[in-house]
Parts: sequence; C-alpha cells; structure tokens
Amino acid sequence: MTAVYMTQSWRACSSLRLGHSLFSNGLLRGLHTTQAAHKAQAGRYRVTRNRSKPLTYEMANQPCQIAHRKSWNSWNTTSLYEGLREPETVVDDIFIRKFMTGTWHNLFVSEVIIKRQHNMIRIAGIVQRKIAARKMYFLIGYCEELLSYWLKCPVKLELQTVPDKKDVVYKYI
Amino acid sequence: MLKLGGVTPRLYSQVLRLAASCNIHTTLSTFSELKAEENEEFRTLELRSKKFVRQPARVMKSHNVVPPRYKRQKVDQDWGNVWPAARTFHPASVPLPVRQGYPASGQVTPDKWGNAELMKIPNFLHLTPPVIKRQCEALKKFCTPWPSGIETAAEQEKYFPVMVSKSTYLHSSPTLRDQKARIVTLRVSLKSLDLDDHGRDKLLRLVKNRHDPTTDCLTIVADRCPLSQQNYDYCFYLLTVLYNESMKTEPWEHEKEVADRERYIWEGSPSQAALQAIIDSNEDSTPEEVIEEYKKVVIDLHNEGEDEPTLSRYRDSVMKLVGLA
Repeated sequence: MTAVYMTQSWRACSSLRLGHSLFSNGLLRGLHTTQAAHKAQAGRYRVTRNRSKPLTYEMANQPCQIAHRKSWNSWNTTSLYEGLREPETVVDDIFIRKFMTGTWHNLFVSEVIIKRQHNMIRIAGIVQRKIAARKMYFLIGYCEELLSYWLKCPVKLELQTVPDKKDVVYKYI
Repeated sequence: MLKLGGVTPRLYSQVLRLAASCNIHTTLSTFSELKAEENEEFRTLELRSKKFVRQPARVMKSHNVVPPRYKRQKVDQDWGNVWPAARTFHPASVPLPVRQGYPASGQVTPDKWGNAELMKIPNFLHLTPPVIKRQCEALKKFCTPWPSGIETAAEQEKYFPVMVSKSTYLHSSPTLRDQKARIVTLRVSLKSLDLDDHGRDKLLRLVKNRHDPTTDCLTIVADRCPLSQQNYDYCFYLLTVLYNESMKTEPWEHEKEVADRERYIWEGSPSQAALQAIIDSNEDSTPEEVIEEYKKVVIDLHNEGEDEPTLSRYRDSVMKLVGLA
C-alpha cells in the first residue's frame, strides 16, 4: 500500500496522484480534495422547499443552544468535581434510551429524559395516545420492573401523554 | 352454448353456480340482459386486473381520555397531598398557566402542554413553604435542646477541646462507596493540653507543620485505614502518644545545644556578658529599667527577626544605655 502524502499548504481543488498500483490500462485515477470545511452539522436539519418538515423544540434548537434555550436530557452528579461512575452512567443512559424507544413502538414524541436522584432513576418523556390506557399502564410497569433489575436501583417512569404528535411541533422548516 | 329460454334468473344463477362447480364451460353473453335487471345477484367478471385502489387509512380509535386533573382540584386544596415527593412536571396536575421556551417567530412562548423543557428542569413543587413548615413540625419531636453550660465558645473550648470532623458523600448512583469518606481530621488547641515549656517544645518538634502558630492549633489528619472508625481511633492514638512522649524527658535531651534552641535565651548569652562589662565599666550606675529594656530589645531582635521597628527600638535602647539619648 503506497503512502499518500498531503502537504499543509495545499489550497483549493487539488488532485492527488496515487501510486503505481492504481495506474492501469493507461488511465490514471486521482483523488480530488478541497480544503477542510470544518462545518458543524450536528443536530441541524435541512430546510425543505415547502416548509413541510415538522420540528419539535428540541430539534429546532441546535446543540450550541444547550444551556441557553435548551436544557439537558440527562441529569446526574457524575460530571461534578470528583463525581463517581461517569462512564457507567453514560452507558446506562444509552441503554435506557434504546430500551424505551424500542418498547414504546413509535410512541415517544420527545427525547427520553433521565434524572438520577439519590439511587433512583426517574425517566420522563412525552408519549402519544395511540394505545389504550390499560396497555400504557402495563408498559409502565414492565419498563420499571425490568429496568430496575438491570440497573440495580429503583426506576420510576413519569410520562406525559399528548393526543397527537402535532401537539409537540414547534415549527416547520 | 346453453340455450335457456323461459327460465328465471334465480334458476339461471343456480345453474351457473353448478356449472362453475363442475367446471363446465359457459359463456355469459346473455348476462348483459339480466344484469340490468338484477345487478345484485350477479357478479361482474373483470378480465383486466383492477387498478390499485388505495384502502382508506386505518382510523385509530380515539380512546376516551379522562379530563385533566386540575379541573377537579379545589382552590383551597392541600398542595402537599397532590405533590408529596419530587416528580417531573405534569401539566394536567399543576393548575398554573406556566410557559417555557424561546418563541418561534410570530408565535408565543410555548405553553405547558407537551413541553419537554418544563419536564427536564428540576422543580420544587414538593417543597412549598407550608409543606416545609409541616416537615419541620414533624421533626421537632426528635430534637433535644442545646445542653446548658456550653453556650459560649469559650465554654465549649474548655469542656470540649478536641474537635473531630469527617465528611460523608452522596452521589446519584447505585453505589454508596466514596473513598474520601474515610478521612478523619482531629483539631485540638495546645492551650488545653497541660504542657510545660519543654513539653510544648518537644511536641512542636514532633508534629512539625501540623501545628498552626497563628491559631495555636494542632491538626491531625488520618486516612491510612480503610474505615473512618479505624482512622478515628488512630487519630486519638496519635494524640495520646504525642502527649505522653512530650511529657517524658529522654536522657539524650540534655545534649541540646545553643544552635538547637528554638528561641533565644538571654541568660548565659554573649550579649549579657557584654552588657555586664559595659555596666561595670560605667562610673554611674545605670538604671534598672534601661538594663531591662536593653535585654528585652535584644531578645525581640533575635526571636522576631530584624525589621524596622525592632532595629529602631534597639538603636534607642543602645543610645539610652550609652548615655547619648
């Protein structure tokens, strides 16, 4: 494998000649590169032509707005000075989010909010009223029971329901 | 071709069904006459495949929803019973018209229904002032009055000179352990330990920088044992050993030399000998207070270091001694 070198003073569009191995049939295959763009595209949604994409408040505010117009989804003491168990908490949070969105099929219309208080985990979120209340109660009990066994601490679900997912739409882009 | 004349459509359809079940080939050219009269009885044969007809979307049954709870709440209800513990914000239970969020252009601030931001932030709806008052009242029966006789700090220092402190830590996690909870600190003022000069000097040499000269307090920190109870016992063991050792005088302690002394002593010093020589050579007897002042100033100069005030006092004292002042 031939090494590919790129000098730092490379400007604009440049083509890079790769080594002999890619020179076949008399054709030369090159790599066209541009200057690194350093664009931030995390958590940002593309504007549509006819303003048809609905965004919730969470989606409409970009990650740079956290602590300004947005708040955090995960509340715990692990990131404080000399806080304990930070990586384990992060992995637990990922698991809880996957579990909740998977168990409540297409029912969550907000992010899963996880709050840790003492040794309790309180999970909150907004859910659509697509299934009967009895089924919801079953799912709440099921989630609380299984999660408390897996995470080894009491788990409480504090959900809010909305009749339709249009009720959480903040704006259309 | 089946020729059928003067037969009822009912019989005809029965025959057709029979024919269909027996796989008899039939043509239905006579159908068109009958179709006009009896549309319901005869199915139309579609030879071409039907265009895809979109089925109407499945209508989800809207479930009967109980009206929000705030409509059933009285104005003078006991809020402590509605919100007894910390809970995520629930808009149907809280009768307040709160809003949160940055409004979109041309919109108002988003209201409390379906507002995830209100759910994210911690709320203190479980700690309203009447609830706090009630909790304090409930805790009062477990409180005892402050013991009499130790109201002032001086009395507390007199009767309880040793102060032991340790910290416990609380994290929002399933584990209880924090290593920092084993550290125990013991503070005691040296005034409360009955030590003579030699004992105090020996103790200060033993503890080195654990003694704070401004407050005259000895601080012992123990964290070498895994449990705080063990560290607590170790602290008191150290205090006991330090006190006993400083009260004892070892035989080799008399080998202490002038350079080892922690402070300057006037008696037997070269300055005293020099002063005596000056006094003897002086015809008039120098007054006692001048001698005392010179002695004091020289002691200060050695013990407190050379700076403006001590040097100026030394100069004044020497002038008085020599007779120039």
